[in-house]
Amino acid sequence: MTLGRVALGPMTLGRATLLGMCVTLAAGCGDRAPSPSARLSLLETLSGADTAGYERALAPRDFVFPEDHGPHLGFRTEWWYVTGNLTSTAGRDFGFQLTIFRSALGSGAPVSTSAWATNQAYMAHFTVTDVETGRFYAHERFARGAAGLAGASAEPLRIWLEDWTMEGIAPAGLPVRLRAAEDEVAIDLVLDAGKPAVAHGVAGLSQKGPEPGNASFYYSHTRMPAEGTLAIGDDTLDVHGLAWLDREWSTSALSEGQVGWDWLALQLDDGWDLMLYRLRRADGSADEWSAGTLVDHRGAASHLTWGADVTVESTSTWTSPIDGAVYPGAWRVELPGRGWSLLVEPRIPNQELDLAFRYWEGAVGLRGVGEDGADVTGRGYVELTGYAGEAPER
Amino acid sequence: MRLLTKSSVRHLLHHRAQLVLSVVGVALGVAVVLSIDLATQSARNAFRVSAEMVSGRATHQIVGDAGALGEGLLLRLRTEAGVRAAAPVVEGFASSPRLPGLALRILGIDPFSEGPFRPFVVGGPAELDVGAFVTTPGAVVLSAATAARAGVVPGGALPLLVGGRTRQLRVVGTIEPGDELARAGLADVLLMDIATAQDVLEAAGTLTRIDLLVSAADSADRFPRVRALLSPGETLAPAGTRAEVMAGMIDAFDVNLTALSLLALVFGMFLIYNAVTFSVVQRRALLGMLRALGVTRGEILRMILSEATWIGVSGSAIGLAVGVVLGRGLVRLVTRTINDLYFVVSVEGIRVDPLLLAKAAALGVAATLLAALPAALEEASSEPRLALLRSEREAKSRRTLARAAALGVLGLVGGSLLVVVPTRSLGVSFAALLLIVGGLAMLTPAGAVGLVHLVRPVLRQISGSLGLVAARGVVRSLSRTAPAIAALAVAVSVTVGLGVMIQSFRGTLERWLDSTLQADVYVSLPGPTASRASGTLPPDLMDAFVGHPEVAGHSTYRGTDLTDEAGAFRLVALALDPRAEETFQFIDGGADAIMSAFRRGEGALVSEQFSFRRGVGTGNVVDLPTPAGPRTIPVLGVFYDYGSDQGAVIVSRSLYDQYFDDTGVTSLALFLAAGADSESVVRDLLDLVPPGLTVIARTNDVLRSASLDVFDRTFQVTAVLRLLAFVVAFVGVLSALMALELERARELGAMRAWGLEPAELRRLVLTQTGLMGLVSGALAVPMGIVLSAVMIFVINKRSFGWTLDLQLGPMVLAQAVALAVIAALLAGLYPAWRIARTSPATALRGE
Repeated sequence: MTLGRVALGPMTLGRATLLGMCVTLAAGCGDRAPSPSARLSLLETLSGADTAGYERALAPRDFVFPEDHGPHLGFRTEWWYVTGNLTSTAGRDFGFQLTIFRSALGSGAPVSTSAWATNQAYMAHFTVTDVETGRFYAHERFARGAAGLAGASAEPLRIWLEDWTMEGIAPAGLPVRLRAAEDEVAIDLVLDAGKPAVAHGVAGLSQKGPEPGNASFYYSHTRMPAEGTLAIGDDTLDVHGLAWLDREWSTSALSEGQVGWDWLALQLDDGWDLMLYRLRRADGSADEWSAGTLVDHRGAASHLTWGADVTVESTSTWTSPIDGAVYPGAWRVELPGRGWSLLVEPRIPNQELDLAFRYWEGAVGLRGVGEDGADVTGRGYVELTGYAGEAPER
Repeated sequence: MRLLTKSSVRHLLHHRAQLVLSVVGVALGVAVVLSIDLATQSARNAFRVSAEMVSGRATHQIVGDAGALGEGLLLRLRTEAGVRAAAPVVEGFASSPRLPGLALRILGIDPFSEGPFRPFVVGGPAELDVGAFVTTPGAVVLSAATAARAGVVPGGALPLLVGGRTRQLRVVGTIEPGDELARAGLADVLLMDIATAQDVLEAAGTLTRIDLLVSAADSADRFPRVRALLSPGETLAPAGTRAEVMAGMIDAFDVNLTALSLLALVFGMFLIYNAVTFSVVQRRALLGMLRALGVTRGEILRMILSEATWIGVSGSAIGLAVGVVLGRGLVRLVTRTINDLYFVVSVEGIRVDPLLLAKAAALGVAATLLAALPAALEEASSEPRLALLRSEREAKSRRTLARAAALGVLGLVGGSLLVVVPTRSLGVSFAALLLIVGGLAMLTPAGAVGLVHLVRPVLRQISGSLGLVAARGVVRSLSRTAPAIAALAVAVSVTVGLGVMIQSFRGTLERWLDSTLQADVYVSLPGPTASRASGTLPPDLMDAFVGHPEVAGHSTYRGTDLTDEAGAFRLVALALDPRAEETFQFIDGGADAIMSAFRRGEGALVSEQFSFRRGVGTGNVVDLPTPAGPRTIPVLGVFYDYGSDQGAVIVSRSLYDQYFDDTGVTSLALFLAAGADSESVVRDLLDLVPPGLTVIARTNDVLRSASLDVFDRTFQVTAVLRLLAFVVAFVGVLSALMALELERARELGAMRAWGLEPAELRRLVLTQTGLMGLVSGALAVPMGIVLSAVMIFVINKRSFGWTLDLQLGPMVLAQAVALAVIAALLAGLYPAWRIARTSPATALRGE
């Protein structure tokens, strides 16, 4: 996700793998998580770097909209990743995530008379965090990109998995309408573009390893005003807030030695946005490809180098009730050059997605000192992967 | 009591041959019953397991009444009805030259929908590479065992014949189910991606069904929403409903085989009855003495019954072992018939259900005790003094003759009354049959006495006084000879009855084939099993065939197997060539009027079986499940049909086309110009077939004999059972006659002492047994005819709905007599040889 940018590596490791794995496991994904050994072999299959026949991210590109909001089927992996914090008119806080992943199952288009024939698989995650009650709802879906079950198109902009949809409601693609419902929770939101798209990495080319092509294309809309309804139980609430869209596509293999990543997408109340990802190595240290992007209140972006421009330190831990996996529980984020020091804390502790692929992704709040030494608060989303026993190297 | 046990053991050990024969009798009876049980249950289980395996954990299914569903429904089920656990399935059958004899079930699934459904897909996630499974052309996953049998490894190619077309599939993985049941259920499954399955089966645009997983708690909320989405031709039903209806198709078949297998057990009981009676008679002096010494009746009864128990237990034990072996052989025959007539199933060996073993063993022991009971009771109830007298027993036996005959008449009357009861119950029909057989058996002793009297003058002519002695011996030793004669007569009569029934069925079928198969050449595609066509003929190829210069006309046939609540049937769309005018014979006649209404598309023709099963006749209506929902169509006539026992509904092609969006043709019947040579036309036609396609083109004669082959295969199981039952009866007769003659050792010894030559003695014994054989054979002929009449006019007509013409061949009857005589003579050989060899002194010394 956020990782997206730099993150190709991790992204591939995490998200692409995640998708590939679940696709591979098909059955297991619907049920309980499959056994680590099964995952492992899948990961090996995926990391087999079978990139033949796919397009690669080799050089920076100028993103063109609305085309680039749509799918890039020549690449192996792609996602539309939306997270956000919402508040009801009565002041009740929520977090939400709606993500649609696309993964090519093979590089060639099928030759078939069947409407079910496809080389595309889709996976989607939908979560709602109810801050007031402390409840977290997480759902997933899988479908082949055929028979109308799932797919993506740029014009009109429409990315869908069954009735979880992201639909452009203007010719330019954005604003986009998000709809998803499952069991007790539902969202129906319209997201404005907000600040212009931010191209991560080098003009959108996010390098993840030394080899050419070991990279992704990655852009974000970091501050999208959101408005609509959120249904929870029997209540349907009018809500408004800020969302964040991550877009990334690539055909990449895994990087050696990475076991997971922490991704932070922070929206400060003074209008600044901060995206950080820390690629974690097996020994717990940050990988050299870890990085960040700082977006000022006007939408101008600057690259952050890990260590020099930004440091992230976890200040507490949270233990998963499922199996005792230990995640970071809060973070101290510092931008020493700018004098920023932020404490980032989850809105509720347990926002672990206990799905086919287990990870923690949830709404966070922040407070501390921001630009010009001013006190600042804010909201955001954090993603933590590789902590719950699925990482291949464990 | 110890003394009694000892005497009992000593006696049995002393008469080992008798003991062995008794045990063999029980063993055979138990074996036959068990083997049939095992074979039919294995076939049923294989079908169920296979059905369960492919429907997995689904609680419900949506099926199209007309056999196929539209594809758009799945998305609507998920989004509009909120049923998340919904999995589309495309199914079909095929065969592979690499797996001869195995009907393969193509199971097309969507791996992304599979989550909760089929555990075996989850079972091997590490192996199942979904990318390759979905995107590799012709990708297939099969069980490791089946792959090994086909000699393919992942990455290899598996040739598949479906709808006449040979395709190369690519094996992208194998699954190794953890448990035995899943292994059996998956042996015939080819797992494919749904798109691949649609391609291979040429079924783009349709689904076989959609599996649903809906908890009981959710169903009240979800099902109304699901039903609201269904088109008229689509039904929501609990999973397995269809499989149960299908499995129920073989119920009657099963009852038939079970009845036949029980017959073998009944013959086994005859044998036990003989043996126990005889062993009691032999010991009558001893028993009388024991009684005189103060042994109570209860003790005598217990002794005899415990002997019987031991015989029953050991016979049953052997029978179980033999039954399992026999079952393995029979299951092949049973499965082939089920594949020919009912549904496609692959049975990989038999599963020995302990319950069936227990049932067969219990049956064996109970039958033995039951058979021993009359002798035991009689012995225990007789006065000690009388028990010592053999003559008393024979005198009594002759008195019993009248009573038996009276009982026999009673049985006959009872059986006849049951025949008249208007019911379709197979149980009642078999009860009637049993009563009639039993009644006739009771009448045999009286019949035998009468017959012996009749043949006495003839015997005197042939063998002089020795012949008279032989004849008198038969009548005088009625207590022993009567059961033997009855057993032999019943065994032979069952053979005759079944023979006549099968002959009549076959004859009826032959005549039906003659009138039905009027075209010169028949064309179809090969199916998963030899007797099933599958797929539809390519239109351009049909055009080419029909355009052959020597083809003067053609009919087309489109058959679809459908299932509704009342069972399965075949819907046929027929475009009849004018030359095929008299294809159908109608039960009520009026062919001309019926056929012209049929051609005008005014209604349907239903087969006799369909009419019988559903009580639908001329003037009624049938509801046809069409893609647009049920359509009510008048029945124009009921025709004789021996092609399917599930029943068929035939409509004209024009009527069919109004309701079904289906232009396919299953088979083509070609009429040739006068003087054309069918065989050379067939060769021409086959030359027109493009490479990669397999088409079956058969001349009238070839198809006719292929149809008769199916029939013959169907009755192979019957033939085997008939043989087994006869073997049991033969062993029974053998033991009875041997015992009888051996017991007469003293009498014969006396004859030798009076100067009879050993050769004369041999002749005497053989004349006597031969006479008994002759009498049995003679009695068996009318009994057999009665039995076949009951089978044809009661069982087949009333319980199965077949109208058959009774056809009696003199050969069958002559064979019956010959069979009985030969069996009896064979049974006499050993005693004759032994008695002639024994010195008179030894023989006179007796026991």
